Amino acid sequence: MAKINIYHLYPAHLNLYGDRGNILALCRRADWHGIDFEVVPVEPGGEVDFARCDLLYMGGGQDSDQKMVADDLKTRQSDMSRAVEAGMTIFAVCGSYQLLGQYYTTSNGEKIGGLEIVDLYTEAGPKRLIGNAVIKCSLWNPPRTLVGFENHAGKTYLRTGLKPLGEVQIGHGNNGNDKTEGAVYKNVIGTYLHGSLLPKNPWLTDYLLNKALCYRNQAFQPAQLDDSLEQQAHDSAIRLAGSRRHKRLSSRA
Amino acid sequence: MRNLFKLKLLVGIWTGKILIALTRIFGRGGTTLPGRIALKIAPQLSSSLADHLSKGSLVVTGTNGKTTTSALITGILKEAGYNCVHNQSGSNMSWGVASAFVAAASWKGNLFEDWAVMEVDEGAFPGVTRNIKPQGTVITNIFRDQLDRYGEVDHVLGSINRGLEMQPENSFIVLNADDPSLAGVKSSNTKKRWTYGLELDLPADTFENTGRDLKVCPICSGKLSYKKIFYAHLGHFYCLSCSYVRPEPDVKLIDSNTNPDGSTLLQVRLPGEEIEVYFPLLGTYNLYNLLAAVTCVKALDIQTSLIAEALKKSVPSFGRMELFELDNKAMVMALIKNPVGANEVLRTILSEKGKINLLVAINDKYADGTDVSWLWDVDFEQLAFNKDKLASVTVSGLRAWDMAVRFKYAGLEPAQIQVEENTAKAINKALEQTTAGNKLFILPTYTAMLEMRRFLNKIGLGKPYWEE
Repeated sequence: MAKINIYHLYPAHLNLYGDRGNILALCRRADWHGIDFEVVPVEPGGEVDFARCDLLYMGGGQDSDQKMVADDLKTRQSDMSRAVEAGMTIFAVCGSYQLLGQYYTTSNGEKIGGLEIVDLYTEAGPKRLIGNAVIKCSLWNPPRTLVGFENHAGKTYLRTGLKPLGEVQIGHGNNGNDKTEGAVYKNVIGTYLHGSLLPKNPWLTDYLLNKALCYRNQAFQPAQLDDSLEQQAHDSAIRLAGSRRHKRLSSRA
Repeated sequence: MRNLFKLKLLVGIWTGKILIALTRIFGRGGTTLPGRIALKIAPQLSSSLADHLSKGSLVVTGTNGKTTTSALITGILKEAGYNCVHNQSGSNMSWGVASAFVAAASWKGNLFEDWAVMEVDEGAFPGVTRNIKPQGTVITNIFRDQLDRYGEVDHVLGSINRGLEMQPENSFIVLNADDPSLAGVKSSNTKKRWTYGLELDLPADTFENTGRDLKVCPICSGKLSYKKIFYAHLGHFYCLSCSYVRPEPDVKLIDSNTNPDGSTLLQVRLPGEEIEVYFPLLGTYNLYNLLAAVTCVKALDIQTSLIAEALKKSVPSFGRMELFELDNKAMVMALIKNPVGANEVLRTILSEKGKINLLVAINDKYADGTDVSWLWDVDFEQLAFNKDKLASVTVSGLRAWDMAVRFKYAGLEPAQIQVEENTAKAINKALEQTTAGNKLFILPTYTAMLEMRRFLNKIGLGKPYWEE
């Protein structure tokens, strides 16, 4: 039986916007596809063998947790970087997505160094970018939509050559200007979208499971799952994101 | 200049009153729009009317328990013979407070009430405090709630502190001693600080407290530990690295005996005396609400015998385990709005003896919180673990499908989940599944609750909420 090791980074500290939903989606769908899995919580200061990790999940954190997390992660920088180059999958949301980049400049000008795994940087913006968001994502051909909710003060900019996760159709995305959302580097995916993102975008969940299996030369043999509830949730979320009521709300935010 | 000011105030009150009457004709509560418009005309409306109060204002803020706590305080003050103006339906932004004042004011711009008891949203707290200058502020707890509006818990504390700075000298603050996050609440020497807490042996809950926002000491960031934990991060905490420890509360609940109907006989210790209270409301969270209210009126020197008398008559507040009955089927409506509150509601429901029919209605309008990701932090898995207790499950509201997916991933069979986006139709469908003699538990977000109550009022159940 195919098996993957899912490492959950600092579950007690990075769990801001329904991050539990993403972990739950990975576990449930692995189970439904007949993939054996283990979820390993990684605690600050604890021993971590990234060579054993197939899929690393990194959630969002409050400002007060973010700095502690950044300091702790920097001690693991070279291990993580090595694993990423070898093909480890990372799915990082919001605060963790920012941490994967080169630096984050806070609103009072303080520059917090990142992990420099992905070629991007983030600067605090004057107002929070909040609201439902829909993106067109080219991980698939033809592209598929992803729908979620974003809530971030940081504006993220991708350096030349780095691919975004998708093109913004509704919402703000990385910075509210260039219509990009998230970033993809090798098997690393970073995004501002939560909601939780994975449960109502099940193709992304399966994409991550597939990448994690391929990394260890295991074949993904997807089961025929009835995703009609997920599809309905996806479609209705897109309808709501495009509604006049929603547009009024996000301009208020 | 003075006359112009007075005129604006009167026009604001008149417009507000007319709008309240109009909105009620259309079956709405008139707790939002009239206040908004009235404030546009007369921005000082709440502060001018608050000046007429013979005694003063009290404000209840915090994440959970505001509605019930302020209702309990109002009940006790009324028992003591005072007249109160109170925003009882939970409309707790600045316009909700203004609407309540407008409704209570006379057409000549007078207000004959003794006290104003206002529940106030944490974000609206600084503005409202600046206007109505409360004599006392009760802060119930701080949990994660509606992050789309306020960013994060850290910001909520900042907002509360800004509000407290606006409170007049010689006022008082009532705090939950069991909530470690309230350590950051600042107060000056001129303000009396009252605390309350539980001193009981309750079984710790088995819920996964993903809503436990405070993992570390708010003072030194060391690890926080507990001698006793009641739910989420509420309990007898102490820091492993510094001297921060739960303060000894002024008002404590020292004993609780549960009656067969779920009501409790409580022993409350106040400075220098003890009272016995028969309390009809269910759930641990209501014990905290009771203590908050008792502490607040104790700070006002209300006679203790009156306190017990008033609490005995407590009925569930607006949408807080409120009971409706139709064709020998009971409907219990309990508002859910954040993980900690929802977990406590689920815990209370699961302690029910019979089979449970469930209707969860999730909207994502502004008053509900536009981000529904909190649903994934609620421990709905508890329902899947108790599948044999579940007779039927219906989901509704603008985010019905999100909720359906949530239940699927919690471990329920998709075929078991009935989806009906329209909240009124959902009540009918869920009632069809409910057999006579059984209960239907309705768990709506705020605006879904307003919709459902309008529907229930229409079929003759319950009173419109502005008449209560």
